Amino acid sequence: MYTASKAALATLVLALVAGTTVRAQGVNGSITATASVQSPIAVAGVQNLAFGNVFPGVAKTVAYSDATNAGRFDVTGQASTPVTYSFTLPANLTTGGNNLPIGSWTGYVNGANSTSGGAAITPSSTPAGSTLSAGGTLYFFVGATVTPPVNLPAGSYTGTVTLTVSY
Amino acid sequence: MRGLRYAFLLTATAIMPLAGQRPISVTGIQSLTFGTLLPGMPTVVSRTDPVKSGRFDLGGPHDTQGQVSFSLPSVLTGPAGATLPLFFSGSDAGYSQSQNIGSQIGFDPKQPFLVTFSGQGRGSVYLGGTAQPAPTQRAGSYSGTITLNLTAFP
Repeated sequence: MYTASKAALATLVLALVAGTTVRAQGVNGSITATASVQSPIAVAGVQNLAFGNVFPGVAKTVAYSDATNAGRFDVTGQASTPVTYSFTLPANLTTGGNNLPIGSWTGYVNGANSTSGGAAITPSSTPAGSTLSAGGTLYFFVGATVTPPVNLPAGSYTGTVTLTVSY
Repeated sequence: MRGLRYAFLLTATAIMPLAGQRPISVTGIQSLTFGTLLPGMPTVVSRTDPVKSGRFDLGGPHDTQGQVSFSLPSVLTGPAGATLPLFFSGSDAGYSQSQNIGSQIGFDPKQPFLVTFSGQGRGSVYLGGTAQPAPTQRAGSYSGTITLNLTAFP
């Protein structure tokens, strides 16, 4: 009887040990996370908006279609993708505290480097939309008018036009 | 001798349920898919998105509990070793005992979480996340591996 009890106890201990062994079951499985990143946007100021010589009291306009003097920005990015753009425009060209007013901004946007086949725009700080070409390009052409006061001091006047483009 | 028989009977009773239990399992069912990303624009995939969320199916003894934990990448890897940052918020994972994406209990995928298998011994884990490409992120395809670890307590 005593021997039988010891055997029973030993068997129970073995059973508990066996039970403990099977408790820690661990398995795992995996999946993949994926993403496809499109090309970043690049904006390059390629040509300055140049008014050349102006005379006090005589306004001068450069048209966006002026191949030599109009301002031009070249944009590259993901092909055939919509973008939003806006301009930061100066109200004056300046030199040494003197102002040469600039305004009446005109513009043109095209997927090709041409002022035909695209769309006329009015450059402003208000965001507007366009779409990159199938080749991932977009060209902006900018014109404006300067109005020199009659008492404008002589000098070289400059200002900065900034184009911001984002997806 | 009668005591010995009794001991064997108890032992058999203790072991039989374990031997008859369904083994635990984890199966990766659906990838976590962020799709097309634009540089500089974070993209969020919800764990309730039926198309883009990641999904694992779990199996185990019915009405028992298990603990799930993730091995999560902090970046996806792309062309020439470029990396794309990946983030998981505190409720980006969800568990559904009924395997219904519309009926989940949210949990933090960065912390272990206790799940209860259904009466049929099943359950599903869904996973969302956020990919955050830099403004100058290199274009191309990115990927990473997400692993779910399941430990069961019969």
